[in-house]
Amino acid sequence: MKKVLMVAVLIFFAAVFPAFALDGNDILKKVDRNLNPETFEMYRKLINIEPDGSRKEFVLYTLKKGADRVVSLFISPASEKGRATLRVGENMWLYIPSVGKPIRITSLQSITGGIFNNSDIMRLDYSAEYNCEKIEERDGQYLLHLKARTRTVAYDRVKMWVHSEELLPAKLECYAASGMLIKTLHFKEIKDFDNGIVRPAVVETDSPLHKGYKSVMIFAGIKRKKLADEVFTINYLSRVGNLR
Amino acid sequence: MTRSPKIGEIVLLVMVLFACTARAGEYDFDIPGIKKRPYEIGGNLETRGILHRLNRHGLLYKTKYYDASESATRGEFHQILELNGRVLVGPLRARIKTHSEYVETYRHHDLDHELYEAYLTYNTSPAFTLQTGKRVFKWGKGYAWNPVGFVNRPKDPEDPERDLEGFTALGADFIRSFGPAGLQSLSFTPLILPVSNHINQELGESGDTLIAAKLYLLLYDTDLDFMVRLGPRRPEMYGIDFSRNLKENLEVHGELAYLRGYEHKALDDGGKLASETSNAFSFLFGLRYLTASDTTLIFEYYHHGEGYDSGEADRFYSFLDQSCRNYLDTKNQQQIDRAGKVRQAYLRDKNFMKDYLYLKVSQKEPFDILYLTPYITLIANLNDGSFSVSPSATYRPVTNLELTLRTIFPIGGSMTEYGEKQDRCRMELRVKYYF
Repeated sequence: MKKVLMVAVLIFFAAVFPAFALDGNDILKKVDRNLNPETFEMYRKLINIEPDGSRKEFVLYTLKKGADRVVSLFISPASEKGRATLRVGENMWLYIPSVGKPIRITSLQSITGGIFNNSDIMRLDYSAEYNCEKIEERDGQYLLHLKARTRTVAYDRVKMWVHSEELLPAKLECYAASGMLIKTLHFKEIKDFDNGIVRPAVVETDSPLHKGYKSVMIFAGIKRKKLADEVFTINYLSRVGNLR
Repeated sequence: MTRSPKIGEIVLLVMVLFACTARAGEYDFDIPGIKKRPYEIGGNLETRGILHRLNRHGLLYKTKYYDASESATRGEFHQILELNGRVLVGPLRARIKTHSEYVETYRHHDLDHELYEAYLTYNTSPAFTLQTGKRVFKWGKGYAWNPVGFVNRPKDPEDPERDLEGFTALGADFIRSFGPAGLQSLSFTPLILPVSNHINQELGESGDTLIAAKLYLLLYDTDLDFMVRLGPRRPEMYGIDFSRNLKENLEVHGELAYLRGYEHKALDDGGKLASETSNAFSFLFGLRYLTASDTTLIFEYYHHGEGYDSGEADRFYSFLDQSCRNYLDTKNQQQIDRAGKVRQAYLRDKNFMKDYLYLKVSQKEPFDILYLTPYITLIANLNDGSFSVSPSATYRPVTNLELTLRTIFPIGGSMTEYGEKQDRCRMELRVKYYF
């Protein structure tokens, strides 16, 4: 009888407090997998919008494998075509066809101008870069307080608001080590990309450091793809376009 | 009882509908260029205007423009067209890059066509690629100089990102990727560079064949390269370089090269150009630092082992000075011709002495002006104390258009590298359009 009672109490607590079954890092891992599969290809359009409304657009082809390997190739505009960036963990390189060799770059630089920096464009899994120190639940969303796992991560702290049902991000606030807010990312337009991938198709960002300016990332063609490890090496950067 | 809508409600409804429509069309989800074509063609068109304010007291001016009229400024105009083409057929990929340049100076005008690249690659998997043809190789991690650039065309530190012509080679590329720690990846690139009357003349004499190879390791988050170049009538070259990110905004890099059996040509005490075979170490150490306010600093120290020491440089300038004086006294053309030969031997490298510093400070988008990057560059000769300062700016106001304004001020006393340059200052405007 006691055993039955204990099982009933356990079932009751599990049913009433489902959030207790997940900790912040579990939620973060689920957010990562909901945003994209472990190994995939995708296309993105980056738009930098100035206060007067004028725009500059870039189109990137991106491949990602595992938690910490990503490569992106600019396919337009003509001035950027053929540029490729590779990220392996916190190592980042930029290949410019006219320069002819990959050069190391840092995550805080921006290869496109505007508010997105290299770490936004070449984003790894959040769970690979951040540890969740605290979780709050309010208004149908989880608020995850994230701290960078190493000093080489672009933002020291991140606050991530997550839709508690879909486990997809709604908003991110990115902070420097000094506590200064660097930028805010807004995830919008949840869309079905087929292959079971349902995620926001638009990420908008603004920054108190660039008042009036806005940068937008639009996602398309997200597909699972088998990729050799050698694709994510600097010698292969000039040939990434062959995989499209 | 029904109530007819008031005008205010109708206006509100229209506004809401308009807002919804506007929101639906806020972003265009159609992404151009997704569909891949087996061929691509593109290029750029550049107009470059250069204004020289001449240093008429400089020895390099005097030996070059000894017969010119006394003009303080000179203009120069360049029109450049570069075309890129790429064809992809299964595992075969062909690439071509052409460079056509029309130059007009006060002395002449000329139209020149060069094939910068024309090569084929064959790869059945990302781990192995065969390549043949003319291709640009850029070995080394340095920004302004590359002592280990054994198969590179020499860079101009005042314009290190300028496109250059390739060398013709037969080569391969083996890549192997490992785990996330320790040795993360490895690649090996062997090259065979033949020399004939039509290809690679800079690397030897017709019939010679050079062999070069590079081994790259990504080891504990550090890029490491080991390189070698061997061949007849040219020095043996051995090198190593590295690059590593120390923080999210700090990168360090370095290069070390050993040249065995290079030919050092210098003036002897009798004023004759003598040649001796020697060995030398050259090295470079540099860093790239990004501040919180988006200022990028590139700093490099370069020791040029094959360069000339202060005594040799003094003899060189004294020789040029004496040649100019002799020419003015005698009008004997041989004096100037000899000075030209000596000058060519000494100034074979862009920076011909031993020790140099390079500093570039660039500020991305100051005062919230998007796509504007002003920068200032300093190149200093540590052996004679002379230097050049170059305040410049790049602006990309609209897609595919790039405007660059560069000014260069060489500064130094007499008998110094930058003090004797032929320009007192130079101003350049470049307008480049990509298509």
